[in-house]
Amino acid sequence: MAKNRIKNNHGISSKLSTPIMLSVILVLVGYFIWWLNIPFVQDIYTSAAITLVMVLGFQIFNGNSGILSWSYVGFVGIGAFSSAIFSMTPQMKSMQMPEMYPFLVNIHVPFVVALILGAIVAAIIAAVVAWPMMKISDDAGAITQFALLIVIHVILAQWSKVTNGPRTFTLGGQTLTTIWVAMISGVVVLFIAYFFKESSLGLKLRATRDDRYAACSSGIDMVKTRYLSYIFSAAIGGFAGGLYSHYILSINASAFYMTLLFNLLSMAVIGGKMSVSGAFFGTILLTLARQGLRQIEPVLTNMGVNASGSTEIIVAVLMIVFLVFRANGIMDRYELSPSSLKSLFSRKKKAEKKSA
Amino acid sequence: MSELKTTSQEEREVILSASDLHVGYGSVLALHGVSLEIKKGELVSICGINGSGKTTIMRTLAGVLKPKSGKITFKGTDITGKKPEQVHKLGVALVPQGREIFPSLTVAENLRIGAFGCYKPAQYQKDLETMFELFPILKERYNQGGGLLSGGEQQMLAIARGLMSNPDLLMLDEPSLGLSPNRVDQIFELIEELKSRGMTILLVEQNAERAASISDRVYLLSNGRVEFSGKAEDMASAIDVASLYMGGKEEVK
Amino acid sequence: MSLSIVIEFIINVLSMGSLYALIALGLVIVYGICKLINFAYGEYITAAAYLLVFCAGLSLPWWVAFVLAILGGALIGFLSELIAYRPFRGRSLDALLVTSFGISIILQRVFQVFISPRPKAVNLPAFMSATISLFGITTPLRNIIVIITTAVLLLVLLYIMQKTPLGIAMRAAAENFTTARLMGVNANLVISTAFIISGFLAGFVCLFWVARTGSVEPTLGASPLLIGFIAVVVGGMNSLPGAVVGGYLYALVANVLSLALPTSLLSYRDAIMFVIVICFLVLKPEGLIRGNYQEERVG
Repeated sequence: MAKNRIKNNHGISSKLSTPIMLSVILVLVGYFIWWLNIPFVQDIYTSAAITLVMVLGFQIFNGNSGILSWSYVGFVGIGAFSSAIFSMTPQMKSMQMPEMYPFLVNIHVPFVVALILGAIVAAIIAAVVAWPMMKISDDAGAITQFALLIVIHVILAQWSKVTNGPRTFTLGGQTLTTIWVAMISGVVVLFIAYFFKESSLGLKLRATRDDRYAACSSGIDMVKTRYLSYIFSAAIGGFAGGLYSHYILSINASAFYMTLLFNLLSMAVIGGKMSVSGAFFGTILLTLARQGLRQIEPVLTNMGVNASGSTEIIVAVLMIVFLVFRANGIMDRYELSPSSLKSLFSRKKKAEKKSA
Repeated sequence: MSELKTTSQEEREVILSASDLHVGYGSVLALHGVSLEIKKGELVSICGINGSGKTTIMRTLAGVLKPKSGKITFKGTDITGKKPEQVHKLGVALVPQGREIFPSLTVAENLRIGAFGCYKPAQYQKDLETMFELFPILKERYNQGGGLLSGGEQQMLAIARGLMSNPDLLMLDEPSLGLSPNRVDQIFELIEELKSRGMTILLVEQNAERAASISDRVYLLSNGRVEFSGKAEDMASAIDVASLYMGGKEEVK
Repeated sequence: MSLSIVIEFIINVLSMGSLYALIALGLVIVYGICKLINFAYGEYITAAAYLLVFCAGLSLPWWVAFVLAILGGALIGFLSELIAYRPFRGRSLDALLVTSFGISIILQRVFQVFISPRPKAVNLPAFMSATISLFGITTPLRNIIVIITTAVLLLVLLYIMQKTPLGIAMRAAAENFTTARLMGVNANLVISTAFIISGFLAGFVCLFWVARTGSVEPTLGASPLLIGFIAVVVGGMNSLPGAVVGGYLYALVANVLSLALPTSLLSYRDAIMFVIVICFLVLKPEGLIRGNYQEERVG
């Protein structure tokens, strides 16, 4: 594995090998699935690609800082609601959400702009609230994050004039996050996450993760490093939220809460949360496991076994069993590179066999 | 070991022996094949500068760290890879570096924890009396919080806590660390007193000369390897070679 | 403001605070020793509550049902540690956290799939819903019961932690796990005991919690868990007295907010609570009562 690192230093082309290889997998699989033209499979791919963007955004802060950023899913929610508000037509809004503030009703921008605005809103909110929180590490840090998530959740769930409150927020219209949009977003964010990790900010953040005292005494401003990275992570989360809401078309504050956090966290941890490739393979592995089991559920029900809802149980059990044997996830802290591809694939197949 | 039984020392039974210990943190090895043995009633010192692996040896012998390879035998039982509490039950007590007393527990409670695995009321009272005799200060402070004691008093408490289980082997990891000179004298006097009472002691010290002066044998450690082992008297000649390890660097902490 | 309002307020704060203190204690006792944020703690409460429903179905006397629910809570605490957490001991903190999260989800789904996704009514003895007149005010009898029960439990726990060898060992292990083991303290014993006490407390919590809600559903444990978190954060993550203080303090603030907030903002009460918590953490990360903080974890 040390070999990978040496290889990465050879030049720009090999530096890019990780995101390029991951993107190639993503695009080839996506193209194949598009060509297959089975809507059900396309749906799985699209939602997996959106989840990938979420996991990558999560990995940016969580993986590189070592602080469990619970609040991340809150920013996914903020992005989901705000981009939806930006992209919906005023008629649709006044029809679906009669209570909404008039100035929000009248905004209407194209989809892509709405996605970016969603990311910006999430980033701004993160920028406003996060500074003092970045000083706290360890468990107190995790609990602060957790508290922030609850604050965001309560506001999303109660602010009727913006989010339609506890009721479902319906976007109406057609699915704007198509398989292509999801795929391209996945590729772009793969590169972003990888470049972030290798950037000077990412390097500093990783240094604070590994030894914050040493990092601080080498002149790294920990709070500032964490702060900027956190905002960046929130922006990607907001973007992912926008993709999600324009795919699923009806959202609710509880979609951006514990269950989502657990999904993202488990994907990141199973994949190996310190690595971009880990986020990628963790997402794929858990999506496949979940979908596979969901196909089995009705079969079991037909056989007379009451299995509805058991998918989550089995996935969680498998995940724990997996972690017993590989606590640092599939990739640990290493990235995919040409030399590690072969060994990794055999490992991944083994893991898949286990969950099937 | 030598077949020639020349001195009474060598006739004694070997109480603890470690052979070819390799111990590491993650992928970094801290000990590269260390072997040592201690006989009943001996006072053996392990010396070396910071980072030479002294504490790693102690923690491995006590079961806190698992060796990657090698074997540890205590009183004829293989204790390699055993848990700390199991090793303790067999009769090894480690007084850890930095004292590590429980600050929010009282002196009494700290001592009680020392006898946790082997509590017998009558024996406990007797041991307590012995401790009060060795460390009168502990009697005075019996119901005070451990964290309120001074550094030297805490060290006394840590040693007393280790002794409360009546160990067959007492391991002291840098008992003089961070203490004022007269406290250090006190600790060394105490170690000699314990030895005269027949206690088998493994002592880790940075202050090699001081440790050697009271020890039967010395192991000199450098970079995770034993550089010298033998009688304390013989170390004088080795000291020139090893002065590198013990010279001015000692002050750097 | 008349005297009766003051008395009512005090009883409300004390009864709510007692319950919250119990909840927080159950979390802290495990956290202190294992450094594990036990998400499954909420499900211990739910499981105990389902046991209560089950016992009612068998038409057992109420006190048998109560005892069984409490023992059931202790049992599930013990088993969850044995089966799920023990393999992870000394592993990565993340793996442990995901596991803890995972156990919580597994148990919730198990309740959903194998019992019922819908709320089930709990039949409690009449005295749990009776009211009592005291100092000129009328209050549910269970408010008084919870205050007294908690006081007794706290005293018992205090005795165990202060006077028994096992309690002393647990305090030692919470301060410095490795050194405690070096003194012969058995790691499994101490950790199992912590989980059993935690489950035991969860059993008590369930009695008073369902007395308020009147029914059990798979996600019952979520709100007590949240409350426990806040109380623990406010009181200090590593201190048992801190957890108790945190529980009562939380009840006090929640009651004050309920009185002081205009109705339009009442639905944001939790958000305001948590903003206070965040400010608190930013200013005082170690909590009100500082335990002896140790970064090293169970190994």
